Amino acid sequence: MTRPGDILLSVKEISLRFGGVRALTDVSFDIHEGEIFAIIGPNGAGKSSMLNCINGFYHPQEGTITFKGAERRQMRPHEAAAQGISRTFQNIALFKGMTTLENVMTGRMLKMRATLAEQALYFWRGRREEIEHREKVEEVIDFLEIQSIRKTPVGRLPYGLQKRVELARALAAEPELLLLDEPMAGMNVEEKEDMCRFVLSTNHELGTTIALIEHDMGVVMDLSDRVVVLDYGKKLAEGTPDEVRGNQDVIDAYLGVSHD
Amino acid sequence: MLYREAGQFKTSYSADQAMLTIPLDRWFVFALAAFAIVGVPLLASEYLMVSILLPVLILSIAALGLNILTGYCGQLSLGTGAFMAAGAYLAYKIATNITWLPIWVVIPLAGLCAAAIGIAFGLPSLRIKGFYLAVATLAAQFFLLWLFVKVPWFVNDSISGVPPAPPRTVFGFQVTGAAAGDEAKYLFVLAFVIVLAWIARNLARSRIGRSWMAIRDMDIAAELVGIRPLPTKLSAFAISSFYCGVAGALWAMCYINSVEPTAFDINRSFQVLFMVIVGGLGSVLGSFLGAAFIFLLPIFLNSAPGWFGYSVASDTITHIEFMLFGVLIIFFLIVEPHGLARLWQIAKEKLRLWPFPY
Repeated sequence: MTRPGDILLSVKEISLRFGGVRALTDVSFDIHEGEIFAIIGPNGAGKSSMLNCINGFYHPQEGTITFKGAERRQMRPHEAAAQGISRTFQNIALFKGMTTLENVMTGRMLKMRATLAEQALYFWRGRREEIEHREKVEEVIDFLEIQSIRKTPVGRLPYGLQKRVELARALAAEPELLLLDEPMAGMNVEEKEDMCRFVLSTNHELGTTIALIEHDMGVVMDLSDRVVVLDYGKKLAEGTPDEVRGNQDVIDAYLGVSHD
Repeated sequence: MLYREAGQFKTSYSADQAMLTIPLDRWFVFALAAFAIVGVPLLASEYLMVSILLPVLILSIAALGLNILTGYCGQLSLGTGAFMAAGAYLAYKIATNITWLPIWVVIPLAGLCAAAIGIAFGLPSLRIKGFYLAVATLAAQFFLLWLFVKVPWFVNDSISGVPPAPPRTVFGFQVTGAAAGDEAKYLFVLAFVIVLAWIARNLARSRIGRSWMAIRDMDIAAELVGIRPLPTKLSAFAISSFYCGVAGALWAMCYINSVEPTAFDINRSFQVLFMVIVGGLGSVLGSFLGAAFIFLLPIFLNSAPGWFGYSVASDTITHIEFMLFGVLIIFFLIVEPHGLARLWQIAKEKLRLWPFPY
């Protein structure tokens, strides 16, 4: 299932420190266009820190990140969003006071151009844009099968649906690279299956490159084209799920190894 | 049944995104506006129009302004009175120095000046949040009022420091100052209210409104979808201060007929904040309900005992008023932070199912 495309995102020798804590040390990997790339590792391995570096929440002290051929050391999250990187969070980061529709509409934020006056009068572009983008948003809503909760404030939705709305918001931005931080955490089997289906069809139908963090090994091995394993901020292994599964270092990191 | 929400199908996104999606709602609002424009000046007494409707309408504009900042964008402000004062003093300054400028241009212009001041005092909002920001806006409250009182330039070196509002006309009718007709004043203010309420609703349902709410609900995630925090917060400060500035200008020009600092002190800031909390944070309707409620409650308390033939000492009434306000604020903060607007919504939801419990 591996479809080697061009390199979309290249992470080179990233090191990130918080004071004396080394969250990441010399981590390098490439994410190719069109693949599903998984980052796994035990708790505290630096997986989320890695995603935070990619979309600009953290600024690594060393190393470079190259996205679509443009190299950069530091950027703000909104700049990453403008370049086509969307993400979801481990603990849902939705706008609780807004409806599902409004939340997903915020995903279109960067594509809207109406001036303040046009918005204030809801006229010309102000009105036209709202309707055009609503159509796009409805496509995403259909895609993720959340039509029935369109007008519900997301604070009232159950956990599994909130995760789905968050994915919808990320997809509404039509990202080139989608970062998913534990999309299946805390879900039951059915919800996981649904979410897997959505992740796969996002990848297949929309052609979005996906980088995901996940603890459910069954999910990771089934979904991903390639996997990188982190432990204590260092890269342990990288390769196809089968290669990684057979790697002795990975087995040791997960199962523990006796030091006698 | 005449009024029904079920079965009102929309077949296009533009219909679904209309401000009022149900035709009956739309007609009701049009009818209300028509009545306010035509019916009230014909029917209402002078007392009702000048002493009740006029201040309620003007305070509604201020409440709308604060609601944009606090209710939609989540930035707590105690500087409402100061921004109203900025509008009032600068409207006076502009109106008396550029006398040929029509008053309906002067007042939005004063609003723009207040917006610029609002942006300046909104700058700390990038770094500080919540109570600390409230204290920063409190600085605006004290500093600006001090400035307007201390610098006689703002009142054209008037000796009393409390100059009367300059008489100005619109379509030949005098609308500002003590000699203006009641109907003219009322209609002048009403025009501002209708336009500004309409604009507030439009902003709330557009991109800018969504970015305010996103910043309010979770600023980290807002940055993630591409919202830049500083310009978004500053736009809320600017537009909020614009509304407050217009309200302050109208308050001075049309209601109290003079430009005086005591009308815009810290109590005014709290009064408008109470209106927003009681009316409903993040709701245009709530701003109106809150303004009417907070302004009318003392009047009601004063006259209610008389209707039943009791006479209560006025200081007792004042005490009761304070107690009631305290209880109400706590009640709304704990039980229903979305205020009267949310209660109205709940009532509608219940009535929709009535008499069945669910």
